[in-house]
Amino acid sequence: MTLEALLQSKFGYPAFRPGQKEIIESVLAGRNTVAMLPTGTGKSLCYQLPGYMIEGQVIIISPLLSLMQDQAEQLMMNGEKKVIAFNSFLTRSEKRQALINLNQYKFIFISPEMLYYESVLSQLKKLRIALFVVDEAHCISQWGYDFRPDYLKLGEVRQKIGNPVTLALTATATREVKADIKKSLGILDCSEFIYSVDRPNIALTVEMTDNFRVKTERLVELAESLEGPGIIYFSSKKMAEQSADLLREKGAKRVMAYHGGMDQESRILVQQQFIHGQLDLICATSAFGMGINKDNIRYVIHFHMPLQIESYLQEIGRAGRDGKQSIAIMLYAPGDEQLPIQIAENEFPDKSQIDWISDWMEENPNSILNVGAYEEQIKQRSGLTDIQWRIFNDFFERKIKSGMGYKRILQEMNGYCEDRIKLKRNSIEEVYKWIHKKNCRRENILSCFDEEKNSSVQFCCDRCGLQFENFIRNTKSDNQDRTLYDWRNHLEYLLIPGE
Amino acid sequence: MHRSYLKTVIMYCVNELQGQRTIYSILHLLNGKKSSQTIQDAHLFQLTPLFRSFGNLSRGVLEHLAEEIINSSWMTAIDEKHYILTAEGKRELERSLLECPIPSSLNGWLYHSTGELFWERITLLIQVISHLNYNNVKYLPIQRKRDVHEWLKDFLRTSGFARNEVGVMLYRELGQCLEKLSEINPAVLTLRLTGYNRIGLTAVQASEQLGISQDYYHHQFLGAIHHILASVRENSAEYPLINKIVSGAGNAVQLTLSAQKTYTLLKQGLDLDDIAKIRRLKKSTIEDHVVEVALNDGGFNITRYVSEEKQKLILHAASSADSLQLKQIRQIVPESDYFEIRLVMAKLGERQ
Repeated sequence: MTLEALLQSKFGYPAFRPGQKEIIESVLAGRNTVAMLPTGTGKSLCYQLPGYMIEGQVIIISPLLSLMQDQAEQLMMNGEKKVIAFNSFLTRSEKRQALINLNQYKFIFISPEMLYYESVLSQLKKLRIALFVVDEAHCISQWGYDFRPDYLKLGEVRQKIGNPVTLALTATATREVKADIKKSLGILDCSEFIYSVDRPNIALTVEMTDNFRVKTERLVELAESLEGPGIIYFSSKKMAEQSADLLREKGAKRVMAYHGGMDQESRILVQQQFIHGQLDLICATSAFGMGINKDNIRYVIHFHMPLQIESYLQEIGRAGRDGKQSIAIMLYAPGDEQLPIQIAENEFPDKSQIDWISDWMEENPNSILNVGAYEEQIKQRSGLTDIQWRIFNDFFERKIKSGMGYKRILQEMNGYCEDRIKLKRNSIEEVYKWIHKKNCRRENILSCFDEEKNSSVQFCCDRCGLQFENFIRNTKSDNQDRTLYDWRNHLEYLLIPGE
Repeated sequence: MHRSYLKTVIMYCVNELQGQRTIYSILHLLNGKKSSQTIQDAHLFQLTPLFRSFGNLSRGVLEHLAEEIINSSWMTAIDEKHYILTAEGKRELERSLLECPIPSSLNGWLYHSTGELFWERITLLIQVISHLNYNNVKYLPIQRKRDVHEWLKDFLRTSGFARNEVGVMLYRELGQCLEKLSEINPAVLTLRLTGYNRIGLTAVQASEQLGISQDYYHHQFLGAIHHILASVRENSAEYPLINKIVSGAGNAVQLTLSAQKTYTLLKQGLDLDDIAKIRRLKKSTIEDHVVEVALNDGGFNITRYVSEEKQKLILHAASSADSLQLKQIRQIVPESDYFEIRLVMAKLGERQ
């Protein structure tokens, strides 16, 4: 069977998107491969399809539980039953069960922290691994915007399980990050497939507003006039919620908020309503969008400043997957850079907290070898948030295992946190500069990735001149369902087979 | 804060508690805290229907609402954190309950856990049937819990109903059951259902569409589910399919873990002192457990601990005392101890 025939029969797509075929062929030829494909161009197909052509298991390392869950579900929706997402969502007995039966699965998603367990590793060694996939591979690099210390171990893991053919996938990687990926995984000799981060069908604009109030007014105006569907990103749950309420008050019926604080059923429903066209607009935090397959999103607005260019590209990349003209709008008001700085700093434990923990450990030496058991106590007294605790705990556990004393660890942790914050501040600075630069926005972004702008982009950016009319809704859409709701009809529709 | 229905519910509780418990006992009740104290109070003051009917209510919100109620002069303190309704408050409560009655089918104590499971199962089942009807296999399940998926697979395989009949049967059973709802619009439930090409609404969306507050919607939603569960319990022959869906879903007896251990020892015939020794707990704690068992298990016989004669005396005292405070009852029947009174009251609460 040709690759194209398999693509059609297994996935129902008539043709590959740019890059997919080359990457798949490289993997099938047994070459280690680093692939950089822009968001929204079908990265997961690059390991899904080879999975059906080679014997043995496909192991996929994925950093985010929600993303992993989405990807596993997509595969299952496609009729693949031999999928498992091996992560902390599983209960202990489910984990045990899954471990015993690991060889019965084809696609095994694993979160990196699971690889710390010897029992997991030894089961992996018994498998015949056809492909080792590192998703979101930029997480390996200290230079990356989303560095995950757990990812540092992957090179060692790869070696322990017999150096299987490896595919490292990412959407955005600068030169340094790319070098780190190869070195860390031990695949210096790999094939590289780098595709431009540019999405020419997404126009880029930044709008300067005088203050928060004006910015909010402009947001309402945009939501009322732009051709949807659309997503508006916020940095806070509360703002996402309030803005959705505001827009509904202003008469936009089909708007909902989406954030991690909602219960799971509501999150699933809102996401599905959006995909099925029952909603036109989502006011979301960054929790929304990962793994969502909706190809006709026409605009993405950022109400708050993103923390780095990379995540900005990821988020706007959800627009225009169908290739049609779309637009990304960032709204800026003076002082907006304060919020991302605050968010970045709050992610890490600060010096006074770490000092406090150091004193506390001196009084409670029993805790040192088992900090996990003291989570509540430490969190409560030192005021660490969940995220801060995770960073603290990860770092501490990693170092204590290497035999380092706690005082030294905490000292190093101070330095580590300072470095990370500095790096994050630099990223924010980069976004800030990008907002204020006077020349082409696309050119500017591309230069961050050592790329040059493709000569002609029809609707490029506000700096190059942009006609807003092209993105305005031409019909005053009247999509309110006025038919009276009849519960019996609804039940009948759901349960009684039609002809 | 504008949560008038929730305020009504709080005032209702205050009224029933008659100043004999703190405001926080209401929080524990609505949260569904599984402590002996909360469980006993729920029975003693006939508040079992409200058990765990606002599982997410926080201490802060409760305190805030209580303050608002006080500021409206509907409630007044008689002791530290103990409140009663004022005359005006009682009139207000009556008026609000007339406008937004607490659903009579609500039965949190009996159905809170079965209800959650029932909802997870039936929403997934309906989604699956709907897609089967349209021969569509590509969709994302709206329930993610693995055990619900396992249940569904098992159900379709072993229920004994033909696949193409399940939808028709469920339509008939649900329709028949829901149309008997008198004070709740069945739409509170059906609007939330998902199927082929039609994704259900979230609770917030459904309440907006029906034009009722989120809190009131929440109680009506629970009321509708509890109505279904009660109908099936009373007449399982009428609803064979739904009966199958809830079978094996949580038993009626829900004890705290510690009480369960005590119960196991009780069943082996050990007496309270022995159990206290074995479990290294105070005897009073073991007594708490026995009361909890009495509250939970209708078949539990208390004559082993209180003679029938004493039971009669206590019951008589309870009906003549002007409050259900144990102290007052004890004054009338001084020969009984608190443990005996609580046991009898547990049985009394159940009968009501």
